[in-house]
Amino acid sequence: MDLTFNETQEILRKMARDFLITECPKSLVRELEDSEKGYSPELWKKMAELGWMGLIIPEEYDGMGYTFQDLTVLLEETGRNILPGPLVCTITSTFPILDAGTENQKKEFLPKVASGELILTTALLEAEGTFSASGIAVKATPKGEDFVINGTKLFVEMAHAADYIICVTRTKDGASPEDGITLFIVDAKASGISCEVIPTIAADKLCEVQFKNVLVPKKNMLGELDKGWPIIEKMLEKGAIAKCAESLGGMQAAVEMTIAYSKDRVQYGRPIGAFQALQHMMADLWTTMTTSRYLVYEAAWIESEGLPCAKEASMAKAYVNDAYKYVTRWSIRLHGGIGTSRDHDISLYYLRAKAADTAFGNTDLHRELVAQKIGLI
Amino acid sequence: MDFGFTDEQIARRKEFSDVCKDLAAKRPAEYVGFESAYDNEPSWEYYKLCAKEFGKRGWLTLDWPAEYGGSGTMMDRVLFSEARGYYGVGGVDVFGIGMLAPTLLAAASEEVKKKFLPPIAAGDVTWCELWSEPNAGSDLASLTATAIRKGDEYIMNGQKTWTTGAHRADWAFGVFKSDPEGRPHHNLVFLLFDMKTPGIEVRPIPFTNGTHIYNEVYLDDVHVPAENIVGQENEGWAIVNLLAGFERSNIDAIMALIRQLEDLVTYCNVTKRNGQPLSKDPLIRNRLAQTACELEAARTLAYRVADLQNRNEMSLMDASALKVFASELGERYASLATDVAGPYGQVKFSRWAPLNGLLEAMYHECFVFTISMGTNEIQKNIIAWYGLGLPRMR
Ligand SMILES: Cc1cc2nc3c(=O)[nH]c(=O)nc-3n(C[C@H](O)[C@H](O)[C@H](O)COP(=O)(O)OP(=O)(O)OC[C@H]3O[C@@H](n4cnc5c(N)ncnc54)[C@H](O)[C@@H]3O)c2cc1C
Repeated sequence: MDLTFNETQEILRKMARDFLITECPKSLVRELEDSEKGYSPELWKKMAELGWMGLIIPEEYDGMGYTFQDLTVLLEETGRNILPGPLVCTITSTFPILDAGTENQKKEFLPKVASGELILTTALLEAEGTFSASGIAVKATPKGEDFVINGTKLFVEMAHAADYIICVTRTKDGASPEDGITLFIVDAKASGISCEVIPTIAADKLCEVQFKNVLVPKKNMLGELDKGWPIIEKMLEKGAIAKCAESLGGMQAAVEMTIAYSKDRVQYGRPIGAFQALQHMMADLWTTMTTSRYLVYEAAWIESEGLPCAKEASMAKAYVNDAYKYVTRWSIRLHGGIGTSRDHDISLYYLRAKAADTAFGNTDLHRELVAQKIGLI
Repeated sequence: MDFGFTDEQIARRKEFSDVCKDLAAKRPAEYVGFESAYDNEPSWEYYKLCAKEFGKRGWLTLDWPAEYGGSGTMMDRVLFSEARGYYGVGGVDVFGIGMLAPTLLAAASEEVKKKFLPPIAAGDVTWCELWSEPNAGSDLASLTATAIRKGDEYIMNGQKTWTTGAHRADWAFGVFKSDPEGRPHHNLVFLLFDMKTPGIEVRPIPFTNGTHIYNEVYLDDVHVPAENIVGQENEGWAIVNLLAGFERSNIDAIMALIRQLEDLVTYCNVTKRNGQPLSKDPLIRNRLAQTACELEAARTLAYRVADLQNRNEMSLMDASALKVFASELGERYASLATDVAGPYGQVKFSRWAPLNGLLEAMYHECFVFTISMGTNEIQKNIIAWYGLGLPRMR
């Protein structure tokens, strides 16, 4: 056991932190919130040069060949700084390709992801908003050398900017909802696809994507016909941990900002940080962040080791969802009025906490998964 | 970042588990919860049996220096604590092994170490902690019991209270005013003494559930050999602080809760209400799962603290955070477990009690962890002042 970052990770962390401070100031974050694109292509290019999109893509596909744990180190920094754009949806969309893609698919897509040429996203949710297979109604039906996709996906992150969409479809009404799910790598510019950005709390460009008779070649089927659901489960598991890492960074930033502010702001002739009511609250926020930290690190380690991780991933996500919201809510409270202004950075984190909580499954969903894993029948 | 254990550690863990599992099978029915060892005879006999067994195996001294009988590492001690906690086995004296021994190793004279460490290592003696007084709790330095040097003795007078296990203990460590007129924090002495010394009177105080855990202790002209001092006269406060740093290791309590949750899951799977097992109730599933997440968070933070200790980088802040988080989780768990069992949640150890009365016992015992060993509010002060650098209270 050694619960410190290794040298590679320390370097990655420092590099990412320094890079983001200069390249992604909060003024840019707000500008991107208001923009149509939601990301900066120039910044995207620079990140590609640093190898971020290809961080965990093996070297044989032109990636950096880092571990999953290393990825969470990077994401802790992007969460800490707030980095708008398609980094997380692109990386998490490479998981299914890495896990289930054919050699040809890997060769076709992964090098271009690593170089920053391709933005990916995954279209999972539909009208019901459920993360379980029962919610998948978008149909894919075979037609010659192609499949035809019809239906509407929702909350597809950055779909308006994506080059390819991993679309989770129903190809069969099977014995169980999980049976009959098939994944396709769909060209986002294919005819029949239309896309509209949903206004969401963190302006993270979650889209409605309509598929009208969209043709996708059979060679773009990801994994086997009707057997795609386990690939999505694995993606959700890794995605949950990735999201937790981002949230952890966000919590760290919020706690640091709050403590610094409390030493600075004077009322009744003394810094507000001298009031014990606030001291105990800040001790509590620090504790909430720290308990989150090792839970996330443990899950990231287990995942990185290739060990079964569904339980720990869900534990981390369920816990961190609440923790991030709690920490940022109280951070605003401790700032008083100024904390509620959009112009103050602390509010940016409060919004991300809600967005992060929804991504890859909310608290109740993950608690139910934990309930199953701890043996409740 | 590596949460894994070496093959050697895995083997060690299995050894600890196997022995604790065997000992758990010998546990008397009256032994319910963490503190009952002090309460009744069968439980106390059992506790002593476990202590002897661990002493014989050298497991009470795993992380001691080899010259005093150390036979392992700090991580071995953590693994042993986990096994004991998980199987609900007593026998490791929180005062003697957990607090005093590391303090003596760090700060006592060679004579004191030679005299007191071997019986602790063997599991032969039990210790109690005579610190708190009726008017000196969190503000311990304001205590008034005295130990005045006369020749080669100290003469102790005054009253101590909340003394866990004083009625079972062979020996005590305590802190007293050695110079009642002296400068605050430079007027105290830290002494070790035999509980059978004339002039010591122990009176029980009933715990919320009526059990006999702690006591009042009256000291009336109690003579203690001056050689039983730890540290310097008037500088006992330094020893108090040193010892307090060893108080907050919670891994055994966390493992005990993890085990209790497992048992509660089983209880919910087999217990029917309204025509279906409790485990089918979505609210119960949600609450139990939440607790499981929080327990895992506590466990991983305990590893963090252990990892820091292992590298001699003890962080006051992390240890305090762990103490607060794990103990409050214990309170929440007690409330949850007694809720889930419905009317049975209130039943004491008896034929009607689920899980041998453990649920009801937890409803009482949770305070052991939130209030004693520095209340959670004091721990939050530590985090705020020493960790976060916020201005100290005036
Ligand atoms: C089960 C149990 C076993 C115990 N065993 C022992 C033992 O073996 N030996 C021994 O010496 N003692 C023992 N104690 C005593 C324990 O150490 C004290 O109860 C504890 O230190 C608190 O002191 P107090 O009870 O006088 O409460 P007080 O110090 O009077 O505290 C009352 C309340 O005020 C709060 N408070 C006090 N000061 C502050 C502050 N500065 N800032 C914010 N809040 C504050 C406390 O957190 C608490 O909520 C035991 C206690 C319990 C409950």
